[in-house]
Amino acid sequence: MRLPLSWLREFVEVPVEPGRLGDDLTLAGFALDGLESDGKDALLDIDVTTNRVDCMNVYGLAREIAVLYGVPLRPLALNLGEKGAPASEVLDVGIEAPDLCPRFSARVLDVRLGPSPAWIRDRLEAVGVRPIHNVVDLTNYVMMEMGHPSHAFDLARIPEGRLRVRWARDGEGLETLDGVSRRLFRRQGVVAGPEEALALAGIMGGALSEVSEETRVVALEAAYWEPLAIRRAARALGMHTEASHRFERGADPEATVIALARIAHLLEKIGAGSARPGVVDRVAVPRRKRTIPLRPARVRAVLGVDVPQPKAEAILSGLGFRVEADEGKAMSVEVPSWRGDVGREADLIEEVGRHFGLDKIPSSIPPTDARGGLGVGQAEERTLRATLVAAGLTEAITYAFVGESPAGTGGATVGGTAVALENPLADGQSVLRSSLVLPGLLEALDANERQGRRDVALFEVGRVFHPGPGLPIEERRLGILLAGCFRARHWSEKPRAADFFDLKGLLERLFERLGQGPLVLGREAERPDFLHPGQSGAILLEGKVLGYLGAIRPGFREGREDLFVAELGLDPLLGKPAPRVRFQALPRFPAVDRDLSILVDAAAGAEEVCAGIRRAAGPLLVAVTVVDRYDRPPVPAGRVSLTVSLRYQDPERTLTGDEVQASVEAVIRQLRAAGLEIRGE
Amino acid sequence: MANAITELSEKVRALRDEFARAVAEVRAAADLQALHDRFLGRRSGELNALLKSLGKLPDAARRGAGQELNALKDEITRRIEEARAGLEARSLRERLGGERLDITLPGRTPPRGRRHPLTATREELEDIFVSMGYEVYEGREVEDDYHCFEALNMPPDHPARDMQDTFYLKDRPGQLLRTHTSSAQIRYMLENRHPPSVRIICPGKVFRRDDDITHSPMFQQVEGLVVGPGIHLGHLKGTIEAFLHELFGPERGVRFRPSYFPYTEPSVEADLTCAVCGGKGCRVCKQTGWVEILGSGMVHPAVFEAVNARLGRTVYDPEEVTGFAFGLGIERVTMMRHGVDDIRLFYGNDLRFLEQFSG
Repeated sequence: MRLPLSWLREFVEVPVEPGRLGDDLTLAGFALDGLESDGKDALLDIDVTTNRVDCMNVYGLAREIAVLYGVPLRPLALNLGEKGAPASEVLDVGIEAPDLCPRFSARVLDVRLGPSPAWIRDRLEAVGVRPIHNVVDLTNYVMMEMGHPSHAFDLARIPEGRLRVRWARDGEGLETLDGVSRRLFRRQGVVAGPEEALALAGIMGGALSEVSEETRVVALEAAYWEPLAIRRAARALGMHTEASHRFERGADPEATVIALARIAHLLEKIGAGSARPGVVDRVAVPRRKRTIPLRPARVRAVLGVDVPQPKAEAILSGLGFRVEADEGKAMSVEVPSWRGDVGREADLIEEVGRHFGLDKIPSSIPPTDARGGLGVGQAEERTLRATLVAAGLTEAITYAFVGESPAGTGGATVGGTAVALENPLADGQSVLRSSLVLPGLLEALDANERQGRRDVALFEVGRVFHPGPGLPIEERRLGILLAGCFRARHWSEKPRAADFFDLKGLLERLFERLGQGPLVLGREAERPDFLHPGQSGAILLEGKVLGYLGAIRPGFREGREDLFVAELGLDPLLGKPAPRVRFQALPRFPAVDRDLSILVDAAAGAEEVCAGIRRAAGPLLVAVTVVDRYDRPPVPAGRVSLTVSLRYQDPERTLTGDEVQASVEAVIRQLRAAGLEIRGE
Repeated sequence: MANAITELSEKVRALRDEFARAVAEVRAAADLQALHDRFLGRRSGELNALLKSLGKLPDAARRGAGQELNALKDEITRRIEEARAGLEARSLRERLGGERLDITLPGRTPPRGRRHPLTATREELEDIFVSMGYEVYEGREVEDDYHCFEALNMPPDHPARDMQDTFYLKDRPGQLLRTHTSSAQIRYMLENRHPPSVRIICPGKVFRRDDDITHSPMFQQVEGLVVGPGIHLGHLKGTIEAFLHELFGPERGVRFRPSYFPYTEPSVEADLTCAVCGGKGCRVCKQTGWVEILGSGMVHPAVFEAVNARLGRTVYDPEEVTGFAFGLGIERVTMMRHGVDDIRLFYGNDLRFLEQFSG
């Protein structure tokens, strides 16, 4: 809130210059957000935390300043000379809803409506309130000065001079001061005449009873409203006013009569009217005094420092608490009516600490014998990132919420039902993602394509969401997208676009680095329909489908057929640590390599051929590697020539040529028996 | 007889002169071979011819002449070798001279990817705290009202809920996207295997309904929680100072000021001296010399009570244990460290942005 220094000075001596005051207030919990100074006066902009409604005004901050500098706080001048018949003769008030309004106080004022004097208008403008006329200005002035909101009714427009405080009737109508006709509901409070609602309790007055140029007598009301009642009503009505802001955070139940007296005092002072004798003050629920014990040992335990008891007492009494202390016993601290935020010992300790000074508390590191460490799967997740980054991929982070049917994806889905948001910010963020690739990584590709960048290699590690019986299931996943040539161009060679085997190789490397054995792919399992059916596969782990990889099918994205994506669940991969490496003795005898070229059906898998070779070769074969693949003439159409390299080795001895030859021949026999043709050996 | 010796000496001298002339004319390896054959060749070599003529000499003279001839043979052999080495050195020099690379051309760099700058910051924070004995604990991103608000001393209708505009799930009452990582505090305390001691950090994504240059609807925080007997505000200060100095450098000042969070009491915000002006006051720090960096505080007893109530027994007795908690935004730290001025860049996945970082 903004407030002029001169206004504060009405109530407290400020022994420092404004900049220093700002610093000191900041360190006491009221952060200075801005300071304007014109030589004569200074305007402070102070951030008051939501719990300190008692300081959202000049007097509350003056009290804090008085404690800061150990100077006295001057009382508010409330003296007034009441005139005429007692207020209670023309105004009656009844509280019919104690759960809405514990206290309702009112005065009757004779007023001469007109503009406020300049000093009032200037101060209102300084704090950001538009001056209207002296009556309304005074209610606003006093709200800004001592914090309690009040409302002025034209007494002539209150039928029978009777006010009833009650809950609204369902569907009841009320035109508020902002000119809006509102339809009310049962859990909204009103101040009504005998029949009709006249004001929205604690939020805004009504148009019907508004003070106008004809007004001669005012019924001035200041009440204490149940915070929750005001908060719910304001929220339901979508309203937020200076009054509701204060009431829903808890105003001071004792301040109703003070606010009324202060307004009446100022009304007299500016010569704009006078008060009738007496206050119509109804208390439906008396305020219960709260007394909290405060143990010095507890102060030390929480703050980590000994605050001398006289210091603690001085701080608390300066803030309005009443402290009773016996030597060596807990202090007994009575909480002032304006400190609804203080409810237990911890709150008192905060008050003491705040004014004792956090900077006076010595810093130290808590002793520990605890051994820290990363959580389940986190070290492996780092390995995964490092592996992909080292391979040239860059990490993306996309939003966890996506559109229901993402644009530009041809209506494709990744299957499953989505968890939807009740109140999304945008249509494109209405459901929780169930895939990282669609649309997340593809949208990241869009963003880069818009910048003219077609070569993109991205991955993301993040969670996707599936409906569950209780909270949605969160699944940790990896998504990969390769588009175009992701290796940097070099003058020595032609750029090569990434292909299926780049992607597969990445995953093979990943599985190897995570100690998860060879990557196993399957063609049988169902895969997302945006994948090319012939150039994709399911990723299998222990027979279960972990995810998929493959080319995006032609036509799915306009103008691009060089996109490769993979997505897989990480929880089964990262959950268990990789087995420790066991050293194997280095071979002491040489290996023998033999190559075979085999003509196979184009539809057959290379892995199948290799498996056949392994079965036929006997125990001396240690490795089979595909070293070449050729499918152009003279290889007949529909067939491919695979060259495989067979490695033989025995840990105990040097192999003879005859042994190797015998194994190779057994392999050839087996392959021929399976209908394959050997092109060369 | 004497004549025969003199004649031989003459021949030796002539041969030596002849060799010296010939070797000087050698230009290629082939010349060298020819030279070898001519002088040292077994059959037609000139030296051999002279050696054969030794037999005609008397025994006494033969010895001296033989020595002379052998000396000449050694000399010729040595000089042919020298000439060969010279030739080879020259040809190697010539070859190397022709094999010049343009070393100013760019090298073939291995592919380079990068971690997201937020991941880099997060992992650095994790490492700092792990070294201080903290466990890293990840909570859930989708939460329920209890863990995100109620257990954190924010009952329904609490005004502090306004500070964090929440995304709720459709048709799933009480389910929401967590607005802060503080919910992980509650999850950890409920499943703690060594209560009542806690020393954790909880990094993760959080969500609020806000979208502008300083707010992203999804962002990341790191929450810290330390609970045990004798934990006090001095420990909070010491811990926060230590890790802020580790993160931003020991020359940055740290100050603490009272604040308000429903789940801590006292609540404390930490500021860092402004890096732009060094604390003198500038536009960035609104003339204060300080920039806000994190929120923290002593755990509110009501939080322990809520956890105890859920556990059905007093595990974290607020009379016996105290604790402190803190939370900071990973984006904010990254923005301050790298001078990034728009939070939305972190989620735009623009490679022109991501590739600026060392990853």
